[in-house]
Amino acid sequence: MPDEGAPADHELLRRHVAGDADAFGELFRRHRDRLWAVALRTLCDPDEAADALQDAMVSAFRRAADFRGESAVTTWLHRIVVNASLDRLRRRAARPALSTGDEQAFEALVAQDGDPARTSDTRLDVDAALRLLPPQQRAALVLVDMLGFSVADTAAILDTSPGTVKSRCARARARLLPHLAHLQGNRSADQSVSPAQGGDTA
Amino acid sequence: MRGQMTHLDTDVLAEFRAGLITGRRGARITAHLGDCERCTALDEQLAGVRSLLASVPVPALPDSVAQRLDMALAAEVAQRNAAQRGEAALDQAERAGGDGTRESAAPRRPGGNRGFRLLALRVLAPAAAVVVLAAGGYGLSQLDLGSTSSSAASSTAGGAARTAASAAAGAESAGHVNEPAAEPSKAGAVPRGIARDDFSLVTGQRNLTRANLAQQVRTLLLVPPSARRTQTPPPQLRGCVAKLADGHTLELVESVRFEGRPATLVVARTGVEDTAWIAAPDCSDTHRHVLATAILPSGISGP
Repeated sequence: MPDEGAPADHELLRRHVAGDADAFGELFRRHRDRLWAVALRTLCDPDEAADALQDAMVSAFRRAADFRGESAVTTWLHRIVVNASLDRLRRRAARPALSTGDEQAFEALVAQDGDPARTSDTRLDVDAALRLLPPQQRAALVLVDMLGFSVADTAAILDTSPGTVKSRCARARARLLPHLAHLQGNRSADQSVSPAQGGDTA
Repeated sequence: MRGQMTHLDTDVLAEFRAGLITGRRGARITAHLGDCERCTALDEQLAGVRSLLASVPVPALPDSVAQRLDMALAAEVAQRNAAQRGEAALDQAERAGGDGTRESAAPRRPGGNRGFRLLALRVLAPAAAVVVLAAGGYGLSQLDLGSTSSSAASSTAGGAARTAASAAAGAESAGHVNEPAAEPSKAGAVPRGIARDDFSLVTGQRNLTRANLAQQVRTLLLVPPSARRTQTPPPQLRGCVAKLADGHTLELVESVRFEGRPATLVVARTGVEDTAWIAAPDCSDTHRHVLATAILPSGISGP
């Protein structure tokens, strides 16, 4: 969130278009944590998410003059990130096999689990469950249920109708239910997990 | 009394809770939930899914990704600055009656000839882009900049911007430059880059992955030389690089991590495209140990 007295998003974008070299950086830094979350949750892969976020940032930098102000700047930024992420998912589906290397490196790749920052069981399960969803449903669900966007804003970001957003979210929740129901009871316990201390002696 | 309603399907309940089922059908669902424990339990579970999703913390942007975004943004800003300086220089060339010998960029003139500036920007945007990419160790040979080309190869991003400006000062000759990046046929014609046995090893820590190798290498190629730290390569690496490049012009040699392990990235211009190799630490002139390769289309462009 901008500090008091800091320029508004649209003002920063205007300065960027006018040639200010620092304005876009300030604007993007303001929102990039949430934009990262959108890319990561939509793609379920930190490397892909980093690529998508960078693609989106460069695209927004270059196309800033096209922003017409009919939506909030954040909506516009999120839309570019979601589109970059969905593009990547489409390309991933059609990607040809990569060049070969040695067996060792391949095994290392297979063994690796992507996001070393994941610690909580809940997060692991939610991440795994999200992968089951079709990309469009996942994007809607991430925006509405995980990041707290309104249905109307999500519809603007996804360039679709509010009814479609509701329908995608409803189907996604129904689909996730059997995979997440077991977590509902122990949610608070999971969040307070800490290393065992004291107690039994070995 | 109406007939007993069958139990609610999860999809139907989810649509109902999303506000998609209203009217008489909605009223029937409300009534059913009022006296069916099983469906009420399902309804609660569904609400639980939403609150569970909302409780998952927003993941923090990793430092490595933040740094990478900062680098990519710096490259974009440098590219745009170069285009703007080129435009200013073109203004000056216009005032000087086409005398294109000035080296430095002219200050921007408020209220200049708008039509001419627009034209200048259109002509120069691709030229400036290529020059900045060259500062990142890439692609200068695609564009004939006349007498300025040799200095640009080793210049910093700022120097590249000046080069763009001086190229622009020769406005008439620059006018024929159209979409230089789309002419890879010229690429092999003018050898450029680091001499094979006289390269610096860029010291980096970037972790590259097999799945995104080409994209990641492209990002590294965009880092301006001023932002790179270098050291003299050890003899064994020289041998390995000579073996891999096999006479082709080197674009970049950088120490990296590959799938978490130490390795060296070697990029050379191998014809119309570049080839990137990930060399294992034991790679030498007698042991060509490559963990992965990627082919990069010549000319970097955005998505």
